[in-house]
Amino acid sequence: MKRDVNFILNGRPVTLSVEPRTTLLRALREYGVTSVKRGCEEGECGTCTLVIDDLAQKSCMVLALEVEGKSVLTVEGLVAPNGDLHPLQQAFVEEGAIQCGFCTPGMIMTAYAFLRKNPDPTEAEVREALAGNLCRCTGYIPIFRAVMKAAKTMRELGSHPGAAR
Amino acid sequence: MKQTVTRNGVGAWTTRKYDHEKAVGTLAFTDDLRFGPELLHARAFRSTKAHAEIVSIDVSEAMKVKGVVKVVVGENFVHRFGLYLHDRTPLAVGKVRYVGEPVALVVAETEEAAEEGMLKVTAKYRDLPPVFDPIKAATDNSVLVHPELETYEHVPFITPFPGTNIANWFRIRRGDVEKAFAESKYVVEEAVNCPQIAHGFLEPHCCICKEELSTGNLTIWSTAQSAFALREIIATGLGYPLAKIRVIAPPIGGGFGGKAGMTVEALCLAGAMDPDIKGRPVKLYIPREEVMLTSWVRQAYIAKIKLGIDADGKITAIKNNFYFDTGISAEYGANPVRSAGYSSTGCYYIPNVWTDSYAVYTNKPFGGAYRGFGLPELMGAMEVVIDIAARKIGMDPIEFRLKNMLRTGLPTCTGMPMNAHSLDTIVEKIVDRMKLKEKEPAKRKGWVRGKGFALALKAPAMPADASSSAIVKILGDGGVEVLAATMDMGQGAYTAYAQIASEELGIPIEKIRCYYPDTQSHPYDWQTVASRSCWSMGMAVKRAATDAREKLLALYAEFWQTDPETITIEHGIVKCKAKGKAEPIDVQVQNGFFMPSGKFVGGPIIGSGTFVPPDVVNPDPETGQSPKSVVHFTVGAVGVDVEVDPATGAVEVNKVSAGYDIGKAVSPMNVRGQIEGGTVQGISAGLMEAMYYDEHGKLLTPDFTDYKIATSMDVPGEVDAFWEETPEELSPYGNRGVAEHSMISPAPAINNALFDALGIRIHTYPTGRERVYKAIQEKKRGETDIWEYPYALEQSYKNAVKEWK
Ligand code: FES
Ligand code: FES
Repeated sequence: MKRDVNFILNGRPVTLSVEPRTTLLRALREYGVTSVKRGCEEGECGTCTLVIDDLAQKSCMVLALEVEGKSVLTVEGLVAPNGDLHPLQQAFVEEGAIQCGFCTPGMIMTAYAFLRKNPDPTEAEVREALAGNLCRCTGYIPIFRAVMKAAKTMRELGSHPGAAR
Repeated sequence: MKQTVTRNGVGAWTTRKYDHEKAVGTLAFTDDLRFGPELLHARAFRSTKAHAEIVSIDVSEAMKVKGVVKVVVGENFVHRFGLYLHDRTPLAVGKVRYVGEPVALVVAETEEAAEEGMLKVTAKYRDLPPVFDPIKAATDNSVLVHPELETYEHVPFITPFPGTNIANWFRIRRGDVEKAFAESKYVVEEAVNCPQIAHGFLEPHCCICKEELSTGNLTIWSTAQSAFALREIIATGLGYPLAKIRVIAPPIGGGFGGKAGMTVEALCLAGAMDPDIKGRPVKLYIPREEVMLTSWVRQAYIAKIKLGIDADGKITAIKNNFYFDTGISAEYGANPVRSAGYSSTGCYYIPNVWTDSYAVYTNKPFGGAYRGFGLPELMGAMEVVIDIAARKIGMDPIEFRLKNMLRTGLPTCTGMPMNAHSLDTIVEKIVDRMKLKEKEPAKRKGWVRGKGFALALKAPAMPADASSSAIVKILGDGGVEVLAATMDMGQGAYTAYAQIASEELGIPIEKIRCYYPDTQSHPYDWQTVASRSCWSMGMAVKRAATDAREKLLALYAEFWQTDPETITIEHGIVKCKAKGKAEPIDVQVQNGFFMPSGKFVGGPIIGSGTFVPPDVVNPDPETGQSPKSVVHFTVGAVGVDVEVDPATGAVEVNKVSAGYDIGKAVSPMNVRGQIEGGTVQGISAGLMEAMYYDEHGKLLTPDFTDYKIATSMDVPGEVDAFWEETPEELSPYGNRGVAEHSMISPAPAINNALFDALGIRIHTYPTGRERVYKAIQEKKRGETDIWEYPYALEQSYKNAVKEWK
């Protein structure tokens, strides 16, 4: 039996009709938000990571019904209304932190939630923060560079884009 | 005179094509495509037996599940597929050969119903004895994995042995090894083994197939590295004409060889071509825990290497025995066996060579292409044996390597002269940057530190006639479209091609687009494998862009009444100084120029280019000799600095330096990415990766919980990636491949570093914490070597090696 779940998706209120057993990952993908990737559906890889009320979560490990009344942010939601990339997205592009791109949305969302809490991290802290997101292509090295660079850009901007959501 | 000027041409550091879409999450991968409510979903029911006759399959309960449309079994779809050897059916027919082999395919209206149906299928089996040990399988024919081997078709350059489990036997015979050993001052004989490992790409295989009801035409959307090879394998297996099959390859989330050739597509077709289903699209998404059971992994191997060395430290003879455990299929795995064989003197010149390289069937999931293609296996053994040999004869391991190095012009083991390279410069830089000749104290309290080194080499492993072609279209606004059927799976092919087109056309890179492969629109390319694309397809793209430029210049020359040589294209502006002209490329290149003659001339500008290596000769089947066995070799080296906690066996990599002679960096951002990424993948393989089975052949490590790959916490503190540029003669810009090479030698370099740190030699990969801890304990008991081979009771290295004489 399907039930409705109401939440804020990338700043817009939405209502999805889902089976109680449907994960947030499958519900969002079905709805058309496919930036959340299914790399394992077992909570191991991090490709499905999104941010729920400021906390990075693996959406394959969350039931869709659990986000009732919450705010869900995916990587599409980081893009500014004028189309500009978020500093994290920009830094990932500039630093070569993307190869196949399958881990990228999840990786960026983990980094996003992390930088909200720790805007001036050391590289060691970045490594630790990303430990739940696998990347097989890049060897993570350019990802560290990108997160450090984005952190700096955001500190200089004195703001954290996307925070309003 | 160069007639084009551009900022982001060949050699420029530029950002990558499609990264913007990837960063915002809008690039659609195969699983992201939508097909509407007609779409059906498939899920495989799998064998629980390693080797058994199928007595019966009961699908009646599955058919009762709401939403299940059909359950297809092997007898419904008997077609053999394979790239080099047609030994694979998508569903088991009559017999199962490994635990996890697809036995039936449940097709249903939803993914959930397919899963439920799969759980309701049952099968009865009659047990057959399985064989898991490749040495036993190769030497004792009491259990045959493929008694029908004789009937399988194969390409001429592989040599299966019907009546045995040997799917391919590659040989090198040069000189007289026995005489050379007898005359040698030193003889060193050592062995190394390594279990199967997996690609670990983050996007599982996914495929949608549809048979058009009235025409029988097939459309396949798939996570495929090689749209054209896939089409050919399917066409051959089905007996279909090529043009009846269209393959669309959306972006893929990592391949590393695991999505080359044909992987899961035939299994999906078993559903989509069923008489009760055809007309509707069928989707087969492989759940993570079934990925290693559905397509290939990297073969396990046991390598035994014997070296004869003279009083000066020159290697005079080598005898190699390589057993590759190819599981139940060698359709692709037959070729890495050959690739290791024809590179089997490594980076060294050795006059007398004897090599036997075998692909051996066992009752396990099967082996195939994986980044490095036989060379991480070869080097994983060879670079360790070289290290051991140097220490045994009292020579510094790096001096020993330099003394025997395969210098430019010397014959490789197949007899072809080695191409130009500057491996000695690379060695020098790594020795210097890693302070390899200095002992340094550990940084962590109570730990021990060691340094290790290994060389790497690899040629593109492909048939002699692997070709490429490309089309370059100039659009009516000066934009450019490049059709090159390489899969850009992250390696950055489209950025490199855009840089090539920009270089040749003088058009800014922002105006150049490359599209993902579709056999209906793109011209042919053999495969996206072998680190061949930027070289082979690079030739085709360069030729196509040059062709387009010449056509464009000829038209402007006629239009302006001048010689083509007086015209330049600078940042998209066509100029002729002599005539005082400077105009942006416009719609005339599409619609034609209204010439001074009063007539329209031209029309859309389309450049085309093709390439096939002109002079490769397959090695002689008896001796392995060939005047040109491969197109070229890329060489390189890796130095590592590790620390070990003697209390726990924990290993930390402080620093790595990895350098390759790539001829020319067409796209430096991507070269760096390939070296950094491959180095970490190589470290991951060396330190933590292995597929383990229980005694019945059931895979114990199917997903990322049990099959560990490197996380951000496993990345060395410092990774120094660099390259040298000694140009290749036959090459678009002097470039050679590098994408696989970075994965080849981190593992043996770590192995050598661990010996340096611990003073005991580990002969079995991976060399992670558990095994290192064991080694430390064995050392305390006075052992000098440790060897762990899952299929033998005897785990003493000395006895184990003796056993196979
Ligand atoms: S898909 Fe959710 S963690 Fe892998
Ligand atoms: S870019 Fe491919 S997995 Fe990270």
